[in-house]
Amino acid sequence: MAYRVLIVDDSPAMRAFVRRVMELSGFEVSECLEASNGEEALAVLRAQWVDSVLTDINMPGMDGEEFLRRLAADEVLRSLPVIVISTDSTANRVSRMMSLGARGYLTKPFQPEDLRQELERTLGVPRA
Amino acid sequence: MPEVSVRHALEESVEEVLEKMFFIRPLGEAAAGPAPEDEFAAQLTFAGDPPGWLSLRVTARAARSIAADFLADEEEGLTEQQVGEVICELANMICGSVLSRVESGITFRLASPRMVPSSDPPAPGATVHAVDIGNGALTVTMCMGNPACQMVPESAF
Repeated sequence: MAYRVLIVDDSPAMRAFVRRVMELSGFEVSECLEASNGEEALAVLRAQWVDSVLTDINMPGMDGEEFLRRLAADEVLRSLPVIVISTDSTANRVSRMMSLGARGYLTKPFQPEDLRQELERTLGVPRA
Repeated sequence: MPEVSVRHALEESVEEVLEKMFFIRPLGEAAAGPAPEDEFAAQLTFAGDPPGWLSLRVTARAARSIAADFLADEEEGLTEQQVGEVICELANMICGSVLSRVESGITFRLASPRMVPSSDPPAPGATVHAVDIGNGALTVTMCMGNPACQMVPESAF
């Protein structure tokens, strides 16, 4: 099965890297959508369905925290699995983002296998 | 903030980020001399306890190679903006990695990195780590834990 994924990051370089790493990891993507902050991401999500969202925290405009709050407040979108990708690996930050509704948390730097495992875990993909 | 712990965290972070995200193994330390004219430089500030800033300089040849690897693209086809975005992301990752190591008990916040003109020698009290990455040097300067680090001196960039 292939999945539709939304990448939310203000860095075009990071969005391109995450897209490539998903391909390298063997995770099957049918379509990869992109947004540069939470506001753009919400607009994308209200127009089309995705299976998983990967989001940065620090972004100009609506940041990752507010994005998670808006998703949690939306009856349709709150069930979407969201994985936070950040350089911040402090326990406070991880705990805060998970309490806001994130299902997974990946710290940069990471390896392709780490991303695939986190995507599969949050999507409930059975282990091969 | 003991300088030695920042230095250790900076060295570990540079190595880990380069290896895991850019597939580059540093060849050893390089001399952190005056900035050559032909280089890319990025800088970002951070809020936390203590606040501070990080700057990253890399020779243009190495920067283009890093960007090409990161984006899986040909060096010749890359624009200055694309190379700059990758160098900004590299600075962002190194900064977050260092702060996660030395500020593990509190929440910090990184500003968006930006490209800056090549920097002058680092501010007094800053920690500098320079590595040889094969086709040039990469120099990271981190300033935190003293009053001089709370504002980025315009003259330093």
